Amino acid sequence: MLSLAARRLFLLVPNLVLLTFVVFAGMISWLGSPSTIMLGQDASPAAVRELDARYGFDQPVAVQYVRWIAAAAQGDLGRSVSTQQPVASMLSPAIPVTLELGLACILLALLVSLLANSIATGARIVQPLISAISVVGVTIPNFMLGAVLIYLFSVRLRWLPTTGWSPWSAGIGTHLMHMIMPVLTLSSFYACSFGLVYRAEYRATARLLFVRAARAKGLSETRVSYRHVLPNAVLPVITYAGLSLGQLVGGAVVTETIFSMPGIGRLLVSSVGSYDYPVILALTLLILVGVALANLGADLLYARVNPQVRV
Amino acid sequence: MRVARWAGLGLVLTIACASAFAPLITGRDPNASGDDLLTGPSAEHWFGTDDLGRDVLTRTLHGGRISLTLGLGAAALGCAIGVPVGIAAGFARGWASTLLTQLIDLFIALPALVLALVVTVVVGPTLGNLMLVLGLVQWPGMARLVRGQSLVLREMAFVEAAWATGNTPAAVVRRHIWPNLARIVAAQFAISVSAAIFTSASLSFLGLGLPPPTPDWGGMVQGGFEYLSLNPLLCFGPGAAVTLTIFAFYVLGRTVD
Amino acid sequence: MNTELRRRTLLAATAHAAFGVATLASWIAPHPARAAEPVRGGVLNVGFDDDAKTLNPVLSVQLSERQVLYLVFNTLVGINTDFSIKPELARAWHTEADGSRYVFELQEGVRFHDGTPFDAAAVKWNIEHRMDPATGSPQRTQLQSVIRSVEVLTPNSVAFNLINPYPALLSDLAERPGFMISPTAAQRSGAEFGRNPVGTGPFVFESWMQGASIVLKRNPSYWQAGRPWLDGVVFRDIPNHVIGLQRLTVGEVDIVTSISPDEARQVEGNDAITVEQAKVGRWFTLQYQVDKPPFDNPKLRQAIAHAIDRNRINQVTMRGRAVIADGMTPAGLWWSSPDEVVYDYNPAKARALLAEGGVAPGTTLAIAASSDLVLRRIDQLVSEQLAAVGITLQLQPVSQSESYARVVQRAINFTPISWTQRSDPNGLQYILLHSKGFANTTGYSNPEMDRMLDQARQSLDQNERKRLYAAIKSQMMRDLPYIPLYFAAEYAAVSKKIGGFVWPPDQIPRYRDAWKAAG
Repeated sequence: MLSLAARRLFLLVPNLVLLTFVVFAGMISWLGSPSTIMLGQDASPAAVRELDARYGFDQPVAVQYVRWIAAAAQGDLGRSVSTQQPVASMLSPAIPVTLELGLACILLALLVSLLANSIATGARIVQPLISAISVVGVTIPNFMLGAVLIYLFSVRLRWLPTTGWSPWSAGIGTHLMHMIMPVLTLSSFYACSFGLVYRAEYRATARLLFVRAARAKGLSETRVSYRHVLPNAVLPVITYAGLSLGQLVGGAVVTETIFSMPGIGRLLVSSVGSYDYPVILALTLLILVGVALANLGADLLYARVNPQVRV
Repeated sequence: MRVARWAGLGLVLTIACASAFAPLITGRDPNASGDDLLTGPSAEHWFGTDDLGRDVLTRTLHGGRISLTLGLGAAALGCAIGVPVGIAAGFARGWASTLLTQLIDLFIALPALVLALVVTVVVGPTLGNLMLVLGLVQWPGMARLVRGQSLVLREMAFVEAAWATGNTPAAVVRRHIWPNLARIVAAQFAISVSAAIFTSASLSFLGLGLPPPTPDWGGMVQGGFEYLSLNPLLCFGPGAAVTLTIFAFYVLGRTVD
Repeated sequence: MNTELRRRTLLAATAHAAFGVATLASWIAPHPARAAEPVRGGVLNVGFDDDAKTLNPVLSVQLSERQVLYLVFNTLVGINTDFSIKPELARAWHTEADGSRYVFELQEGVRFHDGTPFDAAAVKWNIEHRMDPATGSPQRTQLQSVIRSVEVLTPNSVAFNLINPYPALLSDLAERPGFMISPTAAQRSGAEFGRNPVGTGPFVFESWMQGASIVLKRNPSYWQAGRPWLDGVVFRDIPNHVIGLQRLTVGEVDIVTSISPDEARQVEGNDAITVEQAKVGRWFTLQYQVDKPPFDNPKLRQAIAHAIDRNRINQVTMRGRAVIADGMTPAGLWWSSPDEVVYDYNPAKARALLAEGGVAPGTTLAIAASSDLVLRRIDQLVSEQLAAVGITLQLQPVSQSESYARVVQRAINFTPISWTQRSDPNGLQYILLHSKGFANTTGYSNPEMDRMLDQARQSLDQNERKRLYAAIKSQMMRDLPYIPLYFAAEYAAVSKKIGGFVWPPDQIPRYRDAWKAAG
């Protein structure tokens, strides 16, 4: 298990270096010097040259990259070219917002998918219905679902605050009211896709020999399903949840944008809009590392729960 | 299952036809501005008009051409990379197999939308670039599936026999392996199309779609969002179209294998 | 943003204003009956198109930032809604040496939020800080071309020694160069000052959550007794105007500004909300690089001017409520002049001019396609209208926040753009039309134009200046470095609970003296 972790981490580093270099070089060579962006409508050729020299934008791309990655390795992510703030200070308030959204979504999705599908195991008519809902759930884009929710609950019914985000300090009630629609928007996909995976696994497990043996021993159908089938079907769902974290980040980008939540997704979109490359790079790095570690965690968890598996 | 398959296929064909014959259906220019701005649905404009007086239904139908082109192109590219890599990873032994498998596992977990977003902002959103970017995020899924199937096939007697009788690898793949992969590749292809359209629509919703005046579903939803209370169909018309398309390809893909 | 991108519609391209002296009455619509009497207390919630990057006035670039800056800081002098100058931190001033020396008498007993005193030394430090290259202030070039030195006369009087007479100094000091920051706090915070701004203003900075809100609290020891009325102001991010208006109707915000006629329609008829139109909107224009092909061809420029139907552009993008522009100054300002050179909508003439200028039919040009809601539509209409005279336009997308930077890099040749009015004619005309103007991105250079601009900038005789600016306008319209479109129609939607809100023609809403009725 340790060797698995070591191997993964070993592969992760060159991968990150490569990806960030591509993004870095691309940004610099395609988009030109960030100085004009920093100066905005006050940019003059002289002022641009001055800033270029001060920040080293006149150096070759490779030199700039090495500087950046060396600093990043020591925890210094540089300063935003757009706000002049240290990148770290822009990321730190955004991370908890996204983590909260993501965790709430995963938990809600696991809960809903397992509950709905466990209940449905017995009732034959309910199954196709749940399957149909699940397929719709995995195919509706987040932005569309978000727009529908906003239209229904804010514009028409006025039950929920339109958008925005409210910190915990402004009151738990207010905070939760603002979280309802974003969490629903983001988790629908996962609730449904987890459900589909779970159903497939459940059916596959139910056909296995040991389950049939349990039945043959005269155990009740409920007991068989909860004691034997369920635990084995849940495992793949956990792996799948780990694997889908990358996609979850993508969903969070759209969700945070549509609901204007100050998380890392929205920070990414706004920094993409202003070509704020230190922030884009830092976010890319953060997201890649975060997703890779979460995957690793899911794999290790899986290996631990099910010792037969040696990935 | 069979019902769902035919429904999926029917929907896909309907959407394809509606897009292909878009100019004949409404007979309007999707990009020509008009004088009725932001009107609601009427007999003349079923989905109303947008902020340049353009017919939203016409633009929605034309938007299908862009989305389908993007989706099919990206999925084809995903296949072109994913199938060979998957077969190689499945049949190779030793370090090559490990390397390829690790590669697939690494890429499959990458956040597709985030990568597409960052790469698109660098290379610029043109049809070719978008297809490339979306194809590049599609291949690992295909490769993983093909690898899994290849691992099963590798152990089958008829494949082992084919090797033993001295066939070239190319011949084995062509005659024995590919026919057994075709069905799941086709299924995964449909799912790829669905995923690529999903990602491209999200990208254009975030402002990285094709340049105006191209009718582009994600961009139209985003643009329509600004006028939600004047004409909701500006947002929900193209939104329903993109959802339906993603749904149709997904259902088709899930029910083929 | 793109909504995202769009909502960060950065006003990079909408320009900062440098205001100046102007004598013009009733520039803003009289406020309809609202919360009539000022009351103490309450928190104003502002719907904020957040693209703020820093709250340090010395480094500020974005237009939106100044909504906040005017609350946290005071400027040396203030402006009225008619653009005339009024005392603020300087209670009086006079000129010496034929207008090349200004002496200011400062308010006494004013303290910064950190308790340090505001005095002549602070003024001197503020100006010199901006002129120091190490600070990296975008205002440096502007100040350097004008100010020779700042002199402390007494603790409460300070003199500005100028290089040449410069009547626009007061208008400059009413905007960014005039914001007085606490020297002590600025030196202590260094680069973090933009996140911890300390001024003398009616509100004290409390917190800034990027992408969510900026919170200001009442300054209990503000130097103007009894002010401000409000307990605080919170700038709440809105992703776009439709959401902003939605939040306005449910009372989550009290005001949304800079909305278009189409957006304004969405709240018209709501009893709790007043919709006000700004009497002067931003100047929308087309620009291109006139120092190289293809736009160095005057026939092409004239042909385009005749080929575009500005009335239709006004109808579609502004519901016909904008005012067509044949220059960069709207009617009603002291330097306004009659339109002498106009280009009517005449496609036949445009085609003839193209033939004369040797521009082949089917020529393809590129125009930058911004994500901004209005600019995007202007692009589309211009491309349709040029297609009608045989020029194909390719729309090249650029995010709004990025577009001005690309114009300055000269990576964008042909684009629609907008600028806010400034209260002294020198403010906009010099930087755009002078061959050395720092915002001259068209490459336009005409020695006669430079001469007139230099002369108008230094003259102390308003009649002479008026004459010169009329000549400058005609010269510009003959040379066509810009093809003016219109002065936009822009609206503010305000809850009826709010009073005292002021929206001068520089397009920066002022909430300083606002109040909020209870309930």
